[in-house]
Amino acid sequence: MTALAEKANIITSSLDFIVNWGRKNSLWPFPYGTACCAIEFMSTETARYDLSRIGSEYVRFTPRQSDVLLVAGTITYKQAPILKRIYEQMAEPRWVIAMGACASSGGFYDAYCTVPGIDHIIPVDVYIGGCPPRPESFFDAMFQLQEKIQDESYMKARAERVKEQLEMIKAKTAECKENAEKAVKNAVSCGVQTIKEGRDNLMKKVAFWKE
Amino acid sequence: MADCEKLLAILEEKFGAKRDLADKWGFTVLVERENLHALMLFLRDDQSAKFDVLLDIVGVDYLGFKDYEGPRFAVEYVLKTMKAPVRRMRVKVLVSETDCKVPSIADLYAIANWQEREVFDQYGVVFEGHPDLRRLLNHAEFEGHPLRKDYPAHKRQWLSTNDYLLPELEARLESKGYKIVARSKEVMPNDDEYLEGSRKV
Amino acid sequence: MIVINPNGEQQALMPLNVGPSHPATHGCLRYMAAMDGETIVACETEIGYLHRGFEKMAERGTWQQVLPYTDRLNYCSAIMNNIAYCRAVEEMLGVEIPERTKVIRVIVNELSRMADHCICVAAAAQDLGSTTGFFYLFDSREKTMVIWEKLTGARLTNSYSRIGGLYRDLYNGFEEDVLDVCNTAERNLKDVHACFDRNRIFLDRTTNVGVISPERAISYGWTGPCLRATGVASDLRKDEPYYDYETYDWNVVVGTKGDVYDRLMVRLAEIEESIKIVRQALKRLKPGPIDIVDPRIRVPAHALAYQDMEALIGRFRSVYEGIRVPKGEHYCGSETANGELGFTLISDGSGKPWRIKVRPPCLTQFAAYQELVEGSMLADSMATLSSINIIAGELDR
Repeated sequence: MTALAEKANIITSSLDFIVNWGRKNSLWPFPYGTACCAIEFMSTETARYDLSRIGSEYVRFTPRQSDVLLVAGTITYKQAPILKRIYEQMAEPRWVIAMGACASSGGFYDAYCTVPGIDHIIPVDVYIGGCPPRPESFFDAMFQLQEKIQDESYMKARAERVKEQLEMIKAKTAECKENAEKAVKNAVSCGVQTIKEGRDNLMKKVAFWKE
Repeated sequence: MADCEKLLAILEEKFGAKRDLADKWGFTVLVERENLHALMLFLRDDQSAKFDVLLDIVGVDYLGFKDYEGPRFAVEYVLKTMKAPVRRMRVKVLVSETDCKVPSIADLYAIANWQEREVFDQYGVVFEGHPDLRRLLNHAEFEGHPLRKDYPAHKRQWLSTNDYLLPELEARLESKGYKIVARSKEVMPNDDEYLEGSRKV
Repeated sequence: MIVINPNGEQQALMPLNVGPSHPATHGCLRYMAAMDGETIVACETEIGYLHRGFEKMAERGTWQQVLPYTDRLNYCSAIMNNIAYCRAVEEMLGVEIPERTKVIRVIVNELSRMADHCICVAAAAQDLGSTTGFFYLFDSREKTMVIWEKLTGARLTNSYSRIGGLYRDLYNGFEEDVLDVCNTAERNLKDVHACFDRNRIFLDRTTNVGVISPERAISYGWTGPCLRATGVASDLRKDEPYYDYETYDWNVVVGTKGDVYDRLMVRLAEIEESIKIVRQALKRLKPGPIDIVDPRIRVPAHALAYQDMEALIGRFRSVYEGIRVPKGEHYCGSETANGELGFTLISDGSGKPWRIKVRPPCLTQFAAYQELVEGSMLADSMATLSSINIIAGELDR
């Protein structure tokens, strides 16, 4: 065994698999807890349910360092611009879980001040029903999110991004070329004009001196 | 109950208050709004009354109330005493829609400041003499007063950007004896943006 | 911003925005502080980030349909809100609930008070950096949750109480479960006291922080544990007893200074008092009816509806038309975990409430917040915030 271990070990795998495996097992949530669901999320964290079993114990309260935006609770119109801003501050890849009836659809607060579902503001990956959902259903949502991440392709996304970039570069080059041609044309026409003017002047001068 | 009768007699004589018969379970007096401030001062400080806790200020809209005739709005003050047999009473002021004003009692009870702001927010009743009357629960761009009976429950209003809270902070600093010389640049991008989110003057 | 302070010196202050998305502000509070170094010079608070229209919603349904909304006022102790609301409506209706219901209501009331205080102190411990205390306190809370699950089917927002009775009777083995929770809570309390009582860091961060005088607290309308921490022995369960609270043997806990330490310790001591009440109440449990017999108020049992015409009509009417509460206006306050939760009910005699105004205990406490933190350090403002136990659902409704 030791002899084997000392030798160079190689595992062959696809890059997608290894990237997704890493991502899905260390999902750091950002608990955007506003109401009752946040209390239930606290229960999920503590000893009886223990969220750290699936690698999410590291609750980050800054959008820059988290992967999952966990919207737990009612979002009102006063809160909406803040939620949007927090979402925009998160780095890619990012996922959103709408926890509970209020975040998913506004719940039974069908009033002048509540947003009827956070999908009016930001895209959502997983919805959890319940008012508030039990910790078990929260776990279920995390597993579903993990499945979703497993199906995502890092390489495909990268290829698409590269494609976009290539197209952008092409477009830029074409634009630059066009600009350069225009500039050359302008310069040439300017040059021709100056020569013409010079010749005209010369002719005038010649005519003057002839007289 | 005998206590209430005695107090009612004093209030009737001094401030022209009447007993409100809608409250069959407790003790409520109706008072004209001109006498409100003096009455509350009396209730807070007089030895026979000593209602030193203002629990709540309630706004009511009676639009469409069954068998009701009178001014559209009412503002109710819920009071209680601190001393051992807790006594409670409520003071009610009727306000008409056209002249929707009530004197503020923010100088008597510290909590009245926020509670009056809430009633103003939800019903549009203006409290005269309030130090800083602005919305408490709804956002700054909200139009109308949501708890009025003629405001539809589903009428939603989006908010574009959040309140900067800086003018309020400056006012607070000034009330503490500070004088603002210059505003900081990094939180004050420009005047237009600044005015957009904060309260409209 | 550059200012001239009252002494006439020029000073540079930094405006700092805290919240609403900040771990210590519990999601929905925001304040703007003018900082001089680490010290808060002036503070301006803003609320309303969880204003979800409880009062407008309550006007749309019948009197019973308000019950689930009251759950979500103070969601840490939902049952207490149900009971406070039901008590207010029952006073208007002028009905007396059966003896067994009173005792059950006392038991669930005190259990939820325990859970609420647990969550408050646990969150405060977490904000002060003590994760151990957080886990100890949540342990006994989780055990209460198991009881709620067995009793009502829901963990957090239970809707257990009904106007004129209860949703259902106790299950078999309830007494043993409750006693088990009491024992666990007592054991955990010992552990928590061992964590905090002689902990230098905890003492330094909480004593003489966020002090308020009793006069000022009364002017702000404070009630409940926060007012008792300033030394005023005011508890509605003693002052205006309901559900025979005066016949139980327990004490009102008061503090001395009104600082953060007192507020947290009053809560911990109240857990012990609640356990006392629960143990005594368990001995008073006697078999009997839990609902009042009046089809106009309490819906007849489901089984009866298939046999009895009157019961069927009663069920039908109470669902479609609602309870007819006599016309009038009434205020009724009950002692909940945070202070006096009052309901101003206005009825026009029909099946729907005309107006329900909640008197939230949190609002009064948060209104005083700017006075509490001005002059203290920024880190102390976090300790103060968690000690006054702001529940946003109740604060903004």
